[in-house]
Amino acid sequence: MPFISKIQRQTDYSRFPSSHPIVIDNGGSYFRIGWAGEANPRVIFRNIVQRPRHKTTGETVTIVGDHDPALLKYFDCTRSGPRSAFDSNVVYQFEIMEYILDFGFNRLGADGSQIDHPVLITECACNPVQSRSKMAELLFESYGVPSVGLHRTNKHLVLMLHSVTSIINNVGFVIKMALQSAQDLAQVMLSQYDFPSRMSAEGFTYGSDGNSLCVFEFSLSTESQFMKHVAVLISRLTWEKVEDLKMEHCYIAPDYASEVRLFQKGAKEAEEKTRCWQLPWTPSPALEPPSEEEIARKAALKEKQGQRLREMAEAKRSSKINELENESKNLEFLLLQLRHVPENEVPSFLSKTGYVSKQEIESAFTKTTQSLRKYKGELENEEKADLSAAEKYTLINIPDNILTPEQVKEKKRQLFLKTTSEGRQRAKQKRFEEDLERERQNKQDEEKRLENPELYLGQLRAKHRELSEKVEQRKRLKTNGGHSNGNNVSGGVGRGERLNAAQRERMRLLTTAAFDRGKGEDTFGYKDEDWQLYKLMSKDNEDDDEGPDEDEAELGRVSSRLRDIDPTFVSRSEAGPSETSHLRPLTKEDFQIVLGVERFRCPEIIFNPNLIGIDQAGLDEMAGVSITRLPAACQSLDERMTNSILMMGGNCLFPGMAERLEAGIRMIRPCGIPIRVMGASDPILDAWRGAAAYAAGMQFPQQTFSKVDYYEKGEDWLRQYQLRYTF
Amino acid sequence: MEREVIESDLVLPTHLGFKKIQMYEKYPKGQARGRHWKHLKQIIQAENYQNYPPDVPNCEFKSNTFSWVFSPDINIESPPSMHPCKRICDITGFEAPYYDPRTNLRYANAEVFKAIRSLPNDYVQRYLALRNAAVVLR
Repeated sequence: MPFISKIQRQTDYSRFPSSHPIVIDNGGSYFRIGWAGEANPRVIFRNIVQRPRHKTTGETVTIVGDHDPALLKYFDCTRSGPRSAFDSNVVYQFEIMEYILDFGFNRLGADGSQIDHPVLITECACNPVQSRSKMAELLFESYGVPSVGLHRTNKHLVLMLHSVTSIINNVGFVIKMALQSAQDLAQVMLSQYDFPSRMSAEGFTYGSDGNSLCVFEFSLSTESQFMKHVAVLISRLTWEKVEDLKMEHCYIAPDYASEVRLFQKGAKEAEEKTRCWQLPWTPSPALEPPSEEEIARKAALKEKQGQRLREMAEAKRSSKINELENESKNLEFLLLQLRHVPENEVPSFLSKTGYVSKQEIESAFTKTTQSLRKYKGELENEEKADLSAAEKYTLINIPDNILTPEQVKEKKRQLFLKTTSEGRQRAKQKRFEEDLERERQNKQDEEKRLENPELYLGQLRAKHRELSEKVEQRKRLKTNGGHSNGNNVSGGVGRGERLNAAQRERMRLLTTAAFDRGKGEDTFGYKDEDWQLYKLMSKDNEDDDEGPDEDEAELGRVSSRLRDIDPTFVSRSEAGPSETSHLRPLTKEDFQIVLGVERFRCPEIIFNPNLIGIDQAGLDEMAGVSITRLPAACQSLDERMTNSILMMGGNCLFPGMAERLEAGIRMIRPCGIPIRVMGASDPILDAWRGAAAYAAGMQFPQQTFSKVDYYEKGEDWLRQYQLRYTF
Repeated sequence: MEREVIESDLVLPTHLGFKKIQMYEKYPKGQARGRHWKHLKQIIQAENYQNYPPDVPNCEFKSNTFSWVFSPDINIESPPSMHPCKRICDITGFEAPYYDPRTNLRYANAEVFKAIRSLPNDYVQRYLALRNAAVVLR
């Protein structure tokens, strides 16, 4: 992480006398607070506030700054995103500001009933009075601060540098490219004017800053690479992570167009400049093709299993045969006995055995013998059918009036059986004939093939192609809405597109049925035609599905044929679109994020806000504009101004920034004037250091306005309040 | 609260000794809090009615004390750019002289175009939103 938050609770608050000022740098991204006269701020944290709810207790708590994400798992952070008090560098949400100040003072170690030290706090350039007055109110009334100084960050940097080195000769130009917004002030020290132009405007979520817009663009472009990849195991890129990536990898191209052309050509320099981020990934265990012994072993196993099954079937069959034999023997014996028994004792005899009449026994006997024979595999089905036909259809031919009612019933039953069995036979016959026909055709095909293989193959392939096209087209029609990006100007992106004509018709019918019935009363169903609707609707549904099946079946046949005879044939559907690439094993490349063009595309928006749709001038142009806005009297100072241009702020950490800025300003200013762009030695902390140095100086107490002043003169006086910087 | 949360001192304490008025007194529970803060645009607008015309410099020099004094802001927004607009491809970042009339995305060459046509709608909207060109239905 390029920026590290320091949020240790300080313990030496009481050491400082109450005249010792506290210095606060209230930046758009980071909040720095510390004691005057020191080299570094004591506490640094991100200037955001979150108010999540605790998962178990349900209370809403406040968390300031960024923290270890592991601890945040106890809180439900879904409804509260991080919120910032700023709207493009101007504080407007004072409730959040209050939370932040609370936290800041708390970590500085404040105790006691109020903050007794004078406070020097930063504000942006041209801070509106309302913001200032609310800030003053907050400090005086909530914290009891005795006196407050409000200053602008860039001044302090300059002051600091001026005291430390004398590079800047009296006239300088400060470009403050904070992470929050870019402001450049033509700063004329010891001289007249100061023309800020703020490049951040309305809705500019340049930060909620230019920072986060860069970041967002970055994250979207890296996400788009994921869309191509199959594995979405990668967790979503969080805002902080993307910011880190940005600070680490982005650079500013000296000229965007030429850099981009490099990448487009795919030149070697482009390769070098591309960074690849490999995410953790474990390869799935590769399935090696089974070796010889494996195959042999598996085959043997299968054999054994098959044999076992066969044995079992055998055993069952033989046991069944035994049973049947026994049964038939018993029945035979019974019949034999029956013959010997006298007539009048037949019923009693039979009741012992469990059969009611002789016929029954006889029929049972014939059945068992038949099944026995079947199991032994000697009998054909037709014979059996014939036997039963001869037996059972005896009554059919006898006309009705001779038979008794029972017999009539019996006759009906026999009739029914006969027709069904005849029907079955007929169907069998037809199938048999069809098979013969197909056999004949196949033979013909074979002959054709043998005599002219080339032609035959060509014909077959052509047929296959046609069929597959037809099938695919039908499929495409069905799923039309899903594939095209449905940016329909007509506005109706819905089921209406995906349906084919028949389905649309059905929908239309349904809707008319539903809506046409007039308001108030539902008169559907009074007329007969209404119910016809149902018939139409259901029929439509069925018809649609059957049609393509024949084609598909034909296609299947043709492709199997082709596969048999043509070794080079690959079925069209298999070789088709590679969208079904999820069968392909995931490789290392799937888990990489490649940062190529994005590296310099993101910071480009500082110089060219048109890329994100914001209609403003870029940084370099703005610098020129600022100088031009100087009133006529100081035109002579132009040269001196461009001679010393100072960059500060988080954004100027991008490599290549200085050169680009210089080139940009050179394009706008008149030819030949000296331009010198310098970066501050520590762009992030220097502002605070300057402020601390100033606060420790002698003039500070006279520059602040005190609580007494505030109560007497009120907020409006702040309009005229300004810190005077003197040397 | 879990122990490690308390130990890490993550949460802002509700009662702070050095404050005169605590937060929970200022904003009692259940009250709508955030609605009454004015945005920057509104603040600037409110100021403008009372103040000087926008062109006047907002700071003056006091030569006698060698110091400068600044008056508060009117409007320091940056003007629109004078340079011609640079058009780059929404997907790849290359230069993009063409745009797709159906989706309004800019693209650099034919392959990118193929990719655009196969994108589902919400990806398209996100790309457009990057450029501030998405259709906002609100």
